[in-house]
Amino acid sequence: MASPNTSTLSPSKKKDESFLEKIGTMGRKKKAKEVSELQEEGKNAIESPTSPQLPDIGPEGYQLADYEERSMIEPTSRENPKLVELIKVLLDWINDELADLRIIVKDIEEDLFDGQILQKLIEKLCRVKVEAREVTQSEIGQKQKLRVVLDYINHILGVPPVWSQQKWSVDSVHSKNLVAILHLLVALAKHFNAPIKMPDNVTVTLLVIQKVDNILQTRYVQEEITTNYDDADGRGERDAFDTLFDHAPDKLNVVKKTLLTFVNKHLMRLNLEVTDLDNQFHDGVFLIMLMGLLEGYFTPLYQFHVTPTTFEQRVHNVKFAFELMEDASLPRPKARPEDIVNQDLKSTLRVLYNIFTKYKSTHGGPSVIAQ
Amino acid sequence: MLQNKANVNAINEHGNTPLHYACFWGYDQIAEDLVNNGALVSLANKFDEVPLDKCKPFMAKMLKERAINLGQDLSKIPFKDRSWLGYKTRSRDAVLSRHTGIDIKELQLVGHIAKTHSGETWRGTWQGNDIVAKILNMRTVTDRNIRDFNEEFPKLRIFNHPNVLAVLGCCAPKDPPDLVVISQFMPFGSLYNTLHGESGIVVDQNQALRFAIDIARGMEFLHSMEPMIPSFILTSKHVMIDEDLTAKINMADYRFSFHEKGKLFSPAWCAPEALQRSPEDINVRAADMWSFAILLWELETREVPFAELEPMEIGMKVALENLRISIPPGISSHISRLIKICMNPEPGKRPRFDMVIPILEKMKLSSV
Repeated sequence: MASPNTSTLSPSKKKDESFLEKIGTMGRKKKAKEVSELQEEGKNAIESPTSPQLPDIGPEGYQLADYEERSMIEPTSRENPKLVELIKVLLDWINDELADLRIIVKDIEEDLFDGQILQKLIEKLCRVKVEAREVTQSEIGQKQKLRVVLDYINHILGVPPVWSQQKWSVDSVHSKNLVAILHLLVALAKHFNAPIKMPDNVTVTLLVIQKVDNILQTRYVQEEITTNYDDADGRGERDAFDTLFDHAPDKLNVVKKTLLTFVNKHLMRLNLEVTDLDNQFHDGVFLIMLMGLLEGYFTPLYQFHVTPTTFEQRVHNVKFAFELMEDASLPRPKARPEDIVNQDLKSTLRVLYNIFTKYKSTHGGPSVIAQ
Repeated sequence: MLQNKANVNAINEHGNTPLHYACFWGYDQIAEDLVNNGALVSLANKFDEVPLDKCKPFMAKMLKERAINLGQDLSKIPFKDRSWLGYKTRSRDAVLSRHTGIDIKELQLVGHIAKTHSGETWRGTWQGNDIVAKILNMRTVTDRNIRDFNEEFPKLRIFNHPNVLAVLGCCAPKDPPDLVVISQFMPFGSLYNTLHGESGIVVDQNQALRFAIDIARGMEFLHSMEPMIPSFILTSKHVMIDEDLTAKINMADYRFSFHEKGKLFSPAWCAPEALQRSPEDINVRAADMWSFAILLWELETREVPFAELEPMEIGMKVALENLRISIPPGISSHISRLIKICMNPEPGKRPRFDMVIPILEKMKLSSV
């Protein structure tokens, strides 16, 4: 009678094990689920008072007074790759700036509305302390804080109140209005010469609903977030290159060819050759070599990154090249090192043209350049 | 001090020796000790006075006898203007105290000598001495630069080696802001100039070896300093030739920490590792030995190393493509072997200057 017992023992044991295992994992799963639920609940408990509850307004909430307007982002325009890129670039910038403070911003709408991050950002950028309340939970507190921070930002940016009221009011930022937050960040990035290249001409399509004579009218409005890069940066007055880019794209190729010939004539001595002006100068190495060849010195290899792999290394190289240019009493490049690294063609051409102008005659380079 | 073998005949800026002072103040005991230890009673100071002129007749008589007994020659030894070497001694003159710069107004600059990448050189006089003043080539002179400058130059005032040419002093005038390095005037200019320029000096085999020994001695002294003076690059441009054809390492060619950042104008003399890695990461003494090998080659061939190449090309090719000087077949086998030893690709295997000096001296003896 013992034999069946023994015969079934091993499989049953196996079964037992597997069953137990199942129970175990199930138990764990259940626990994990509980934990995550608990966490979620806790998080909600902590955060809910701080994030404004979107009032479930229902149909009557949308009731508008006559001529009142509501606008919302047209959902498809959110998918616009340029907008996505802009948001990513801005987030990277904020995270770079705030890395020291161990602040990571993940969502441009969800993380910025309460003014806390904005306060830290402006404090970092201006190296000041903004006197505002510490983390607040209540909506009123948050809005007060946001008011202080935004007032300070407006003051720094020097924008008229009417403008800022329209573009980024306390209410619009606090209600996580993407357009308002973007306007604000783009203005900050421009003002502080953020080392990023924001995509040009980013627009968002807004759906505007207006009630006229008791009839809801809808229309689409294009809201411009960033404009053309050079017009927007407001830094340089327009020069020959702007004209060239805008009005004589055919001549642009002549200029590029001339610069290419000039550059190669010198780099040839090092058995180096540039084939494409657009993307072979962004790491700064050729610029450094060129300066050394033209000014008669060697740049020890520990002074720069011979084969840069990161953005920072490239910026370091281009900065170093800029230093060498200034030492050679070339005019300080209008472009930022980051522009070159970001392969901004116009900035690259300006820098090369400066070098060309100074050295073309002494080194017998080609003497024609289109105006 | 005597016990520690201090130079009893060292002079200060007035040309006075310790014996001058001992005599002047009537310290007969000290004076006697000094004479017993070799102090010269007939060494004239700047004003043509020997120590004996300074003391009272009785003491003078005693010291004179003592000196004669010790076999001193009593004929007056004239004051030598070259004896800048004594300068480091205690000075009553505030101008020479360790940390004060020289007032630019004390310099009479008369002639412009040269303009190079590192600065403009002027000739002039200061307190009756022939000097050169190098005005550093700076984009702008900031307060920070002035502070670093004033911190760094005192250590260049090295007066205690015949093969090191000291920086006498420096000034940093405010208006216009400039940084000026002052050193003694050397009529023949740099070794580079002497070898490759139109100096009219014939450098024969023997003279070339003398230069090499001078340079090696100067470098040996600099290498014995602790801490060593950083960022001095040994090239024939940084060695000056005195009127008696002594070669001296020119401290005025020291590179200030803020000066010519990131640029190397004479990579031909630099060791490959010095072109690639920062001085903190290499053996600087071994790298200097490589430079010395290039100098030996230069002295031997009378040619400029890699004359046909641009500095950028030289640097890149020496650092990355194994470009080396080629030793022509005609030169002495001893020198060519020494050059090879000094530029051993393995920095750790290169000799030290104190090892090279006896070899050079032996060569010089056998070449006469």
